[in-house]
Amino acid sequence: MTLDFSWLLDPLYQTWLLRGIGTTILLSLLGMVLMFVIGIVGAALLHLKVRFLQSPVTIFVELFRNTPPLVQLFFLYFMLSEIGLTLTDPVTGGRIPLFTGFTCVVLSLGLYNGAIAVEIIRSGLLAVPAQTVEGARSLGYSRLQTFRHVELPIGLRMSIPPMTSNIVSLIKTSSQAVLVAVADIMYGATQIMLETFRNLEVMLLIWVIYLAIASLAVLVVRRIAAAFRIPGYGS
Amino acid sequence: MTHHRHSQQSAPLIEMRDVHKSFGANAVLNGVSLSVRDGGVVCIIGPSGSGKSTILRCINGLMSIDRGTIRVGSFAVETLKSDKALVPLRHQVAMVFQQYNLFPHRTVLQNLTMAPVQVLGEKPAAVRERALALLAKVRLTGKQDAYPGELSGGQQQRVAIARALAMQPNVILFDEVTAALDPEMVSEVLNVIRDLAREGMTCVLVTHEMRFAQEVADEVFFTDRGVIVEHGPPGTLFQNPTDPRLKAFLEKVL
Repeated sequence: MTLDFSWLLDPLYQTWLLRGIGTTILLSLLGMVLMFVIGIVGAALLHLKVRFLQSPVTIFVELFRNTPPLVQLFFLYFMLSEIGLTLTDPVTGGRIPLFTGFTCVVLSLGLYNGAIAVEIIRSGLLAVPAQTVEGARSLGYSRLQTFRHVELPIGLRMSIPPMTSNIVSLIKTSSQAVLVAVADIMYGATQIMLETFRNLEVMLLIWVIYLAIASLAVLVVRRIAAAFRIPGYGS
Repeated sequence: MTHHRHSQQSAPLIEMRDVHKSFGANAVLNGVSLSVRDGGVVCIIGPSGSGKSTILRCINGLMSIDRGTIRVGSFAVETLKSDKALVPLRHQVAMVFQQYNLFPHRTVLQNLTMAPVQVLGEKPAAVRERALALLAKVRLTGKQDAYPGELSGGQQQRVAIARALAMQPNVILFDEVTAALDPEMVSEVLNVIRDLAREGMTCVLVTHEMRFAQEVADEVFFTDRGVIVEHGPPGTLFQNPTDPRLKAFLEKVL
């Protein structure tokens, strides 16, 4: 068996791959933003025991954490296109669908990994010592101020290790974008395979690319964790 | 230091009357009454589980009470329910804890300045200056940029006292503040408290340091099973205890 990577020299394939990498990274970054918003808001509502909102958050978490992300993506894609919300393009005046495949992938990543993030951040908040909270309360901090200035900053730091694997999971899950026709790295790879039939070589490359993106993400998180490390605290 | 203590006749700064508190079926306070005058130094002693720490937490509203009244200055503590209503009380009554309860993610200086700025809305520059002076007072000049986790227990507890002082309170509650310290660090913390007591700060201490209680307190309260069994000036209480429970307790600890 000989591996043939000569197709890599084709500028068209290079463009597909590079655009695909860009799309994958953009999907992941936007998904992460949504994941963090959902994770922090959800964990806050549960932690602060906000009346009437606790049960909906719990149902949301169970629903999105315990079902396959692909099922969620297809559901979102077909349900939202059914609703058929459109935007008017300011340049051409044409109607474009509000929920494109791209939007649906970002939403699905944010919801799926956000549901997991709720639980991760919540356990981080629970790891903040009760004494630290009592110290804040004794100084006049309200429940909300205590959360914002004491529990959240410490709890988020505590949630970094499990959050790192959640971020990697999000990057990997973004590869299902290809299934709703978003031109991510997997999409580019599929196109190249269809034209060259070098399936093994293309998949080897894709494997390496995902590994590189995920490793880069882990590296960035490590830098952030180091920058926010609390001297002399914990391990 | 020859600060004037306020006259004995003035109305007490803290007054608890017939305070009851239970946790589920477990009654912790069964009718506690005590008063502390402005500038007074009061020690609460007693066996563990007798409700000493609960008394302190009721005074600053960290715990609500089931029955009775607590007055601190002009505040009727049992009527303060919301976080907002409790802010003026916590401004006046600061607390120092056994486990220091510092903010681990903030520097020593930030631990002192956070609450005055974020809760009381004071100007950061003025608070910072006051905080640095307080660090000097507790002999921690130069440690302002350290994090609590980088300090010894005795140093952390002195930061906690400075943090309490930064609120410019009228009263400080001390909850077994030397109980978690290594023996050689106890005196550095007690020295700071002794200075405060001499300067006229109203102090309520729950403590197992009987010799210290004897030295600094104007009045000592002995609690057992949720009631004040006996109270009086330290000389009387330690030398001529009348209640058999107090006698038994003192035999064990002295």
